[in-house]
Amino acid sequence: MSDQLDVIGVSKQIGPKRILTDVSFSSITGELLVITGPNGAGKTTLLRLIAGLSKKSSGQILWNGSCYGIDHGSLGYLSHKPMLYETLSVLDNMVFFAKMYDRFSMESIERLLERVGLWLYRYEPAAVLSRGMQQRLALARTLLFDPKLILYDEPFTGLDFNGQKLLREVLEEKRANSIQIVISHELSLLQGLPHEEMKLLRGRMVREGVSCE
Amino acid sequence: MSNYFHRVLLIYVKDIKDEFRTFDNLLSTIIFGVMLVFIFSFAFQLTDLAVDQAFSAVLWVSIFFSSVLAIQRSFAKERENNVMDALLLASGDRGIIFLAKFLCNLTVLLLFELVVVPLLWIFTGISALGHIQAGLFIGSLFLGSWGLAAIGTMLNGITIQLPSARLLFPILLFPLLIPLLIGVIQCTNTALLGVSEPLSGWVYFLISFNILFTVLPLVLFDFVLEG
Repeated sequence: MSDQLDVIGVSKQIGPKRILTDVSFSSITGELLVITGPNGAGKTTLLRLIAGLSKKSSGQILWNGSCYGIDHGSLGYLSHKPMLYETLSVLDNMVFFAKMYDRFSMESIERLLERVGLWLYRYEPAAVLSRGMQQRLALARTLLFDPKLILYDEPFTGLDFNGQKLLREVLEEKRANSIQIVISHELSLLQGLPHEEMKLLRGRMVREGVSCE
Repeated sequence: MSNYFHRVLLIYVKDIKDEFRTFDNLLSTIIFGVMLVFIFSFAFQLTDLAVDQAFSAVLWVSIFFSSVLAIQRSFAKERENNVMDALLLASGDRGIIFLAKFLCNLTVLLLFELVVVPLLWIFTGISALGHIQAGLFIGSLFLGSWGLAAIGTMLNGITIQLPSARLLFPILLFPLLIPLLIGVIQCTNTALLGVSEPLSGWVYFLISFNILFTVLPLVLFDFVLEG
């Protein structure tokens, strides 16, 4: 089944500062939307609004035509910060989040940790992992379930060549049944992946839906 | 609904396990409480003050200061690395996080009291209580801890995203806790001294107060944790 995300006239204001002004776009399953723009353009804020982590000041965000938000089991979020419990081991982090999403299966956790190259480190606390390994673990957590909408905020941060290759594979693989929105400054890493590009400048959308290869 | 409580339980179990694994939060709270008890009991020996008259005030002062120490770190792990975002996305309902954190704080406070209350009892040499008095004493401890944990968790959730969270938390906590502290000190006093004044009013007040500050954050946590 195809899903649709509609962002209609969304604005965000914090105090006197306007972070986003009247941003609108739509995306359907199969699309990879890349949002570019300089620092402070409002890219991360836009992703946080879509994820429901922050509240919009005005406008609408519709998921399949409904304004009640995206079900938490349908939303994946990979940030440039790994968002992991540092005192918990690699395995405990995965088990905890798998259970929270009601998708606990030891086999799938093992498979995912092997895929991101962390099975050997499964008993290590997340705090002792390198930055790149933490990002791989965060990627594995995002893949624990089958999100219909995946938001990536500078996902290549800290990843080495193999990690970047792995993330590109995931982006390609998830294309079939997800809407994917990526914030990235490193557009060269997305070369070869067909995507739509959208540019934000000082909270306003200045370029919409440019198809890129 | 069962899924809701299942997720509450998952966060609660994770936090309690983490508490016992690192042990730093509970241990530092207990050490602080024990030190307060020592200081108060030395002070009692140097004065002619009737210990049983001041026992409940000393008890709740010790619990209050120690609880500030324990509760203000309840969201610390979520603050590191933006884990709060991951938890918000995984829980799907912010009330789940409040309820789990509240239960964890309540457990930590009750464990703390399990160590500190007998110590204070021994050092002050208060005589043993009858069944009804003991029941009332334990009941007032529970009601006080419930209120402390509920208000503390709510305020910790509000202040955690602020840069001066450690300063603001105790400042905001104290005025909100005044009615609760008056109520529990009255109940504890009655339990210890056997004062014959009717207590049901205070007990009803404490129960209503605690229910209000447990239900209110469940509804308002959506706004409390707004980024």
